[in-house]
Amino acid sequence: MSSTLLFRKQLFQLPPALRKSLFSTASTITNPEIYDVVCIGGGPAGLSLASALRSNASTKRLRIALVDSQGLNGGKSRDDAALYSNRCSSLTPASVKFLKECGVWEKVEKQRVQNYHGMEVWDGVSGSSISFDPLDATSGGGLLDAVGELVPGNRFTASRRKYEMGDANMVATMCENQNLTNALLEHLRTLGDVDTFDRTKVDSIQLGPEPVDEKSLNLSQWPIASLPNSRHLAARLLIGADGANSPVRNFAGITSEGWDYNQHGVVATLRLDRTFNPEDLRTAYQRFLPSGPIALLPLPNNKASLVWSITAPLAAKLKALSPQDLASMVNAAFRLKIADLDYFLKHLETIDVADELSWRLPNTSPTATGLPSSLPTVTAVQEGSTASFPLRMRHASTYTGHRVALIGDAAHTIHPLAGQGLNLGLADANSLAQRVTYGMEHGMDIGSAWCLDGYNGDRWAKNNAVMGVCDKLQKVYSVGSGPVVWARSLGLGLVNRLGPLKGTIMGAAGSA
Amino acid sequence: MSRPTLHRLLHLPSSLRTFSVLSRPTPNYPSHVPLTPLERASLAITSAFGSLLNPHRHDLIAALGEATASPYFISRLHRAMLANPTGRRILRERPRITSKTMRLEELREYPENSVGRAYAEWLDREGVTPDTRDGVRYIDNEEEAYVMQRYRETHDFTHAITGLPVIIEGELAVKAFEFANTLLPMTALSLVAFVRLKKAERARFWSVYLPWAVRNGLKAEEVVNVYWEEELGTDVGVLRGRLGIEVPPDLRGIRKREREERKRERGVREAEGRAAERNGEATG
Repeated sequence: MSSTLLFRKQLFQLPPALRKSLFSTASTITNPEIYDVVCIGGGPAGLSLASALRSNASTKRLRIALVDSQGLNGGKSRDDAALYSNRCSSLTPASVKFLKECGVWEKVEKQRVQNYHGMEVWDGVSGSSISFDPLDATSGGGLLDAVGELVPGNRFTASRRKYEMGDANMVATMCENQNLTNALLEHLRTLGDVDTFDRTKVDSIQLGPEPVDEKSLNLSQWPIASLPNSRHLAARLLIGADGANSPVRNFAGITSEGWDYNQHGVVATLRLDRTFNPEDLRTAYQRFLPSGPIALLPLPNNKASLVWSITAPLAAKLKALSPQDLASMVNAAFRLKIADLDYFLKHLETIDVADELSWRLPNTSPTATGLPSSLPTVTAVQEGSTASFPLRMRHASTYTGHRVALIGDAAHTIHPLAGQGLNLGLADANSLAQRVTYGMEHGMDIGSAWCLDGYNGDRWAKNNAVMGVCDKLQKVYSVGSGPVVWARSLGLGLVNRLGPLKGTIMGAAGSA
Repeated sequence: MSRPTLHRLLHLPSSLRTFSVLSRPTPNYPSHVPLTPLERASLAITSAFGSLLNPHRHDLIAALGEATASPYFISRLHRAMLANPTGRRILRERPRITSKTMRLEELREYPENSVGRAYAEWLDREGVTPDTRDGVRYIDNEEEAYVMQRYRETHDFTHAITGLPVIIEGELAVKAFEFANTLLPMTALSLVAFVRLKKAERARFWSVYLPWAVRNGLKAEEVVNVYWEEELGTDVGVLRGRLGIEVPPDLRGIRKREREERKRERGVREAEGRAAERNGEATG
């Protein structure tokens, strides 16, 4: 949005009462139902917020409504347990801790969830790599750690222990989005007392009508969501958990700035060449290519989830490939030199991918490309699991307004390269729930700025930092040659050798 | 310092150490000789001086080429081959040019103005044969070693389609063209032989052949990507057009004309001298 448009918009921003009387077109609001919290959006962020509020003693008597345009009766259990959805998320230990505290985690299907303990991240152009080894923390680290231990008052071991929560040295947990949503819905049903309006699209959100006289109810400062069947929900606190194009955010007049990456994220479920047992240590792999990073995230047994960020026309070409060819392309993207991969992508329609790959693999030196020796080979792609979504970065200028709060994708959209999107949303829900609890315990009006500003202060800066880092990483790693490559390889190599620094980064990433 | 710390200090990552010359790593291909960085640097310097002092030492020139090509330049050339469909086919099929695979008798039978005939005619005119070139020894990656070998073996083809002779002047022109086209450092280092040219040759090189070489080398397609074995029947003009190479002025022709000019002038001067002597005798 250009700055002149913004200026004009702010110039013509009328006071709410005047705006409402000039612009309101909907039918007059009669008999609004009064709720303490109306959460628009039934995704993981909205559901976890409702769960958290219902689980907590101070807030469990709040009257909560949940509105979603899709059905909220939970997805059907998979016919074939071996099939996995292509929409999976990596949950950090902090997110898992939050879900455990709400009581949601025990309802998640554990055999469809995969903890992973190591990460191998390497630069496709130079081969420099950083590896988070599960045995790092237990072995006591390298020479610099020994030197660091000598410094009095150091907190190096403590910072490394930050990410050693629960399962020994677990980095994160891979969980299908549907699995998580089902668990959240089941938990909400168990707790009860949340009015759900599913398959309901919100017609409009407006401020309430002026009171007819001095003594009648004054809802003129309350947002009222109008549903199709002439029901009106008046909200003491309206939560926008309704995704990237949030109507709640539009209602509150909050702008969202950012840019589109010229990339799509291609996702698929892959089958690997070897099967892992539940007690095995698993590793996630990510290679940074100039066209975008490709990541292989482990799922139970011999499955894995693919997230490949690539330019939009190439994403279309990849989706059009046969499953066998796509499996070969994924192997190529992890193993071959960039020059080879560029040739493959340019001539995708004319070459025999498997044949070219079998010729190039023996002629590609793994040490030159930085290939980790433990990377499994992809043997197949699950039928129908290939999809793509456009990648962009958006951040709302603020998360709160009068009686409005934004969580999840309504507040921020991020590049998937660090797997932080859902985790930031859950952390938002956690923070807002804590803030509402605090408000209730101290007799505040939970929709007032007095209560909500704490949420904004807690989350906005942290989210901005994480999004900023992810964006800069994406920009630094999209360069194909030159001094930037040299500098980033040097930096990555240094961080790889500095155990305490690595531990601090992992701690920061894991606690969101 | 405690024992565990000392232990960790001694086990630095292997990338900081190179191998010992007493136990070289196993070769990646039959003629491979792995070198430490110090060995590679001293080979480059000594072979540079050696080949400048004695340009007939083709083994030193080859060694100079290999020592200076790693790590970046030969990789760049390799990447250029990988980016081209014909280059990839060459890397896959690994054709070799030797006096056995390129028989002069067969090449002479090719149609007029074809690449094969031009190559045979050039070999006959210069009095050379497609001898087996020195095998590559000092490049670590096996495929990059083949790229270097291919470049060496197709050097004569570049001479043939441009018509430049094997004398120093012609070689320098071809080397300048190859530097602009392949970026191998050895081709640029060979231009130091400029000092061995005579004054007239230097002037000609500077004003005619160097601009030609730079202009065409940069503008042309990568010559290393040409599958010469398949192009033997192609018309030379067509191939040059496809690659984007202009024909340089005929060097042997120019030199012959200059020689004749000088001979004629010398003849005139001698005649004048004899006439002056006779006049001197007559008057004296």
